Amino acid sequence: MSNLLSVEDLSLKDRSTSNNVLRNVSFNLREKEILGVVGESGSGKTLLSQAIVNWLPENLVISSGEINFLGKKMSAMSENELEKEIRGKEIAYIGPNAINSLDPTYSVGAQLLEKAVSIDKGNTSKEILKQKVISLLDDVLIPSPEKRFYEYPSQYSGGMMQRAMIVDALLSSPKLLVADNITMPLDVTVAAQIIKLMRVLRDKFNTTIIFSSSSLPIVREISDNLIIMKNGSIEEQNSTNEITSNPKSEHTKELIKNTPKIWSENINFQNIETKPILSIKNFSKSYKVRDKNKFNSFYEVKAVRDFSIDVYEGENLGIIGESGCGKSTLSRLISLLERSDTGTITFNGEDLSDLNKDKIKNFRQSLQLILQDPYNSLPSRQTIGRIISEGLLIHSQLSKMEIKEKVLSIMSEVGIDQNEYNKLLVGKSGSFRQRVSIARALILEPKVIILDETLSSLDQKEQEMLLSLFSDIQAKRNLTYIFISHDLAMVRKSCNRIAVMYMGRIVELAKNEILFDKCGHPYTRTLLCTIPTLDKNPYDKNLYLMDGEPPDPTEIGTECSFKSRCPHFKNNKKGSTDMGLIEIQSGHWVDKCGVDCGR
Amino acid sequence: MNLEDSSISKKIFYDSWQNNFFKFSVIFFIFICLLAFIYPEISEIKAEKMNIKSKFLPPIFFEGFSWTHILGTDQLGRDMLMRCLVGLRFSLIIGFASVFIMLLFGCLVGIISGFKSSWVDVIIMRITDAQLSIPMVILAISILGVSRPNLASIILVLALSGWPLYARVSRSMALIERDKEYVRGARILGANDFRIIFFLVVPIILPPIAFVSVLDIARMMIFEAILGFLGLGVQPPTPTFGNIIADARKYLINAWWIATMPGVFLVITLVTLNFIGSTLEKSKNKIFGEGI
Amino acid sequence: MHLAGQFVRRILQGVVVVLITTFLIFSILRIVPGDPVRLIVGGMAPDNLVEEIAQKMGLRDPIPVQFGRYLSQVVQGDLGNSYQRPKNGMMGQGGDFNANMDVEMAEVSDLILERLPYTLQLAGLALLISLIISFPLGISAGLKPKGFISKIAFFISSVFVSIPNFWLGIVLALFITIKLGLLPSIGYQNFAYTILPAIVLAVETCPFIIRTISVSFAEISQEYFIKSGKVRGLTRNGVIYRHTLRNASIPLLNLLGIQLSTLLGGVIVVEYIFDYPGLGQLTIYAVLQRDFPLIQGIAMVTSALYVGLNIAVDLITYSIDPRLES
Repeated sequence: MSNLLSVEDLSLKDRSTSNNVLRNVSFNLREKEILGVVGESGSGKTLLSQAIVNWLPENLVISSGEINFLGKKMSAMSENELEKEIRGKEIAYIGPNAINSLDPTYSVGAQLLEKAVSIDKGNTSKEILKQKVISLLDDVLIPSPEKRFYEYPSQYSGGMMQRAMIVDALLSSPKLLVADNITMPLDVTVAAQIIKLMRVLRDKFNTTIIFSSSSLPIVREISDNLIIMKNGSIEEQNSTNEITSNPKSEHTKELIKNTPKIWSENINFQNIETKPILSIKNFSKSYKVRDKNKFNSFYEVKAVRDFSIDVYEGENLGIIGESGCGKSTLSRLISLLERSDTGTITFNGEDLSDLNKDKIKNFRQSLQLILQDPYNSLPSRQTIGRIISEGLLIHSQLSKMEIKEKVLSIMSEVGIDQNEYNKLLVGKSGSFRQRVSIARALILEPKVIILDETLSSLDQKEQEMLLSLFSDIQAKRNLTYIFISHDLAMVRKSCNRIAVMYMGRIVELAKNEILFDKCGHPYTRTLLCTIPTLDKNPYDKNLYLMDGEPPDPTEIGTECSFKSRCPHFKNNKKGSTDMGLIEIQSGHWVDKCGVDCGR
Repeated sequence: MNLEDSSISKKIFYDSWQNNFFKFSVIFFIFICLLAFIYPEISEIKAEKMNIKSKFLPPIFFEGFSWTHILGTDQLGRDMLMRCLVGLRFSLIIGFASVFIMLLFGCLVGIISGFKSSWVDVIIMRITDAQLSIPMVILAISILGVSRPNLASIILVLALSGWPLYARVSRSMALIERDKEYVRGARILGANDFRIIFFLVVPIILPPIAFVSVLDIARMMIFEAILGFLGLGVQPPTPTFGNIIADARKYLINAWWIATMPGVFLVITLVTLNFIGSTLEKSKNKIFGEGI
Repeated sequence: MHLAGQFVRRILQGVVVVLITTFLIFSILRIVPGDPVRLIVGGMAPDNLVEEIAQKMGLRDPIPVQFGRYLSQVVQGDLGNSYQRPKNGMMGQGGDFNANMDVEMAEVSDLILERLPYTLQLAGLALLISLIISFPLGISAGLKPKGFISKIAFFISSVFVSIPNFWLGIVLALFITIKLGLLPSIGYQNFAYTILPAIVLAVETCPFIIRTISVSFAEISQEYFIKSGKVRGLTRNGVIYRHTLRNASIPLLNLLGIQLSTLLGGVIVVEYIFDYPGLGQLTIYAVLQRDFPLIQGIAMVTSALYVGLNIAVDLITYSIDPRLES
């Protein structure tokens, strides 16, 4: 087969710094091939994609090399020719920023049609083009495309916008589709759906695809051949199988080593048999949103619904869920930053539901929450010592000297050099900042720490380091941790018990090994089959990946919220309509609907 | 907004300082201020001193000028330069003082209003709406109307007419800050609203607003001149830009400089001030983004 | 019709705002020293006569009582009668106030309606001039924030915003009317008398419009959906015309709504300088003469104009960007 695209010795230079940001990149791309490009942020994969579509940031120029498309040198083409023939026509580009890719003031359909008209140059009637757009929307599995055509970008979810942008790219029937990091902002299950879709579309439209991402497991799913990039140059290129099974370069080996292991590594947690330190019964929270269609009326978004759980002293509980499942609301409710509408919370045997001021003050010391964003969760203009001492300044009557002493001892406990006491956070890394957050929490000597996505902005190595810090501290202080996260690989390593959340409720709760090996709910299976790992996954995507997205949280009623996506529901119309956890085995709780329908 | 930086104020000022026009304007403005506050004190010529013999002298280089009176003299033979400088002095005092008060009051009300988000918020916002819905001039002249205004009452009236904008801007910033992670972080530690507002939020909201308020100083100085022109400013014989120009209208045809010179003087000062303000604002936008 | 709910809410809010405004002005007038009765009867009248008339006019009742009485009148469409202006013929402006209590006084609503068209003509022309100057400058400055035009726009804005309107009025009157004899300026006889005042007002409003246009253009141009238009295969002009302009018009519309009261503030001063027979000139004299009903009426009308314009602006921006509608 002939080469559709060949890149020869391509280098890009930053005009302002004269640094080469891309160095001597060469590869060939055959027709209908899917080429995967893997690299961390800053590796040059996005610049390479942008160079191929001739859409580089203004400060970058091609300093050497050539891109040939269909045997023609792109550097020899005029801007006019590029605009009329190539960019957005023969070569289409989709980026990670789908949610901002369309003008918020026009409907999605109108803008796709705008592009269709601009490509078509008036040969076809608008009505026919509109039908084409709608049928493409259907192809990318956007539900009820005739209706969605008229909706605005803000009414689309992230996954749907990414699908719409795929339609945008396909409108011109491009020979080459450059998909740059398109799964980056998406939840794993949605990302898996997009990948599945890309493969189907490749077969249907005969498109050649360059697919770049920072995640090797994701790219591996889809690509025939792979390029591994680092610091602007190619580290290794070969067929996907060859690279993953027999990596040559050190960087690739490292990359594979750092990819989380789920099933290939043994985990071992002690059985925790203590009394509950924190008990939550029937927590619910809904938010009122003004209904703009009616005068002075509201509808309810139910963020957390009937949530109950016992947290045992000294355990590590994981609460897992995708964006929008209500897990951040839950962390605010548990830490009493917000009041729940219903339910009770008992801490260390004391009922806190009456919101007695003294009790709450004590509780604030005993339960600490460490937040996700290390850059925005700490006050930027206080010194590190001042930040850590804040809790004592609020709660204790200690003298300045005593406070300083305590702060310094906590700093060494979490691995911060004491010289940092008078310094600011400027220029400190994410993991350093999270250490400061931990120190700030620990100084109050809490019994429970909630880690709300605390590790998710850190890279694999930093995560490992902090996780081991957590377990050291836990051993010393008999702490209880609640990990709230979307990252299954992380909870696999750190939690002895895991709860899975969907639409504000727990759908499954089990010990770590039981959840990963013998899970009982179809939603858990979907989550597990999409974990980005190179392990052999016991859950096959083709069997367990569900289509669709969670229903609109304003429209869920009392019946099973999983109905619209449940794989069993269609065959078994009698499926459960009410919800609630059932203990199917000691310590393994599964939502009724998952149990009833699954049988 | 990124909270990376250690000092927002320094960053904004440093960024502006890269601009040569900005440097020049700052130096020139300081020069004018010194001139206005020091020169009339040390000079032999006094602003109020009349000298009928040397009345209607034109500025230098116009026929019949005198070197003693660079900007000429008025209908009573008073030195125009001195009158302008004294006028500028009052203008500056009023401009700075009124903006200082409206900034502090407006931001305080706005931040508390945004943080509390209760009926207090609703009431405060409706009051600002009401005040913004009628021209400042109407409000100001209604208050200053008949009484003989003095320095303090003028400053207060200007501050009163300017606070709603500050309240609204700082409220909308407070609404954003309120939901930020660091505020949640402080709450978890047990900090109360007072502690959060004064130790964490105010230091973040105030500096960028304060920089932009330089533009309002210029606006208030114009406003002061308008009030003076309508006879509602600091009263004669104290010269202010407004009352000089108002008096000079009668002599417009024969002695044009009496009405125009103070204006030129004021415009030059204000251009410098506005240039400083807009450059600071640009730097602020570069660092913070729009929205203030 | 899904905007209807929003619309009703905004109208109710607007009514509250107008009420607060009126009450503010109403109270201020009565709290601040300056007795209108003294001005009506003249300086020579004995104090007990002043007191007697004041009682009769209800000016000695508690302010809420007076306000309630005023509102009940207003609801019936009666804004009251002027304290100073007789029904027939114009009074000598700023002249002597030998007011005769027997003369029938002009109705406030008539006075306002009579002056309003002049003011609207002036404000409209001023807005037109400033839009003509600001649009090309603002747009090209916004599209190329580092370009030459951007510097010019910045310079012009800085200078224009520094010029006091009353001074510019005097200078223009001096040079254009007196020295060059190009355009008339004092008083009003025909449309030409509107031009100079309108130019002064335009100079005052230009900087705000230029700034808003250039900033919003620059900002929208940085949006991903504008930048990515190129790689989606849309033409540069198509993107600017269909997307940048449309999105950038939202802040501009909002500015026009908010700036109305500033514009009217300028109108007041400019009309006074040029002796232009509009609402602004009426306002100044009304205040100086402590003509309470007239001031209240003007404040209420201006406030209602402001509220109405802002509701209209909101409705337009909602229809442009559906996200704003919450």
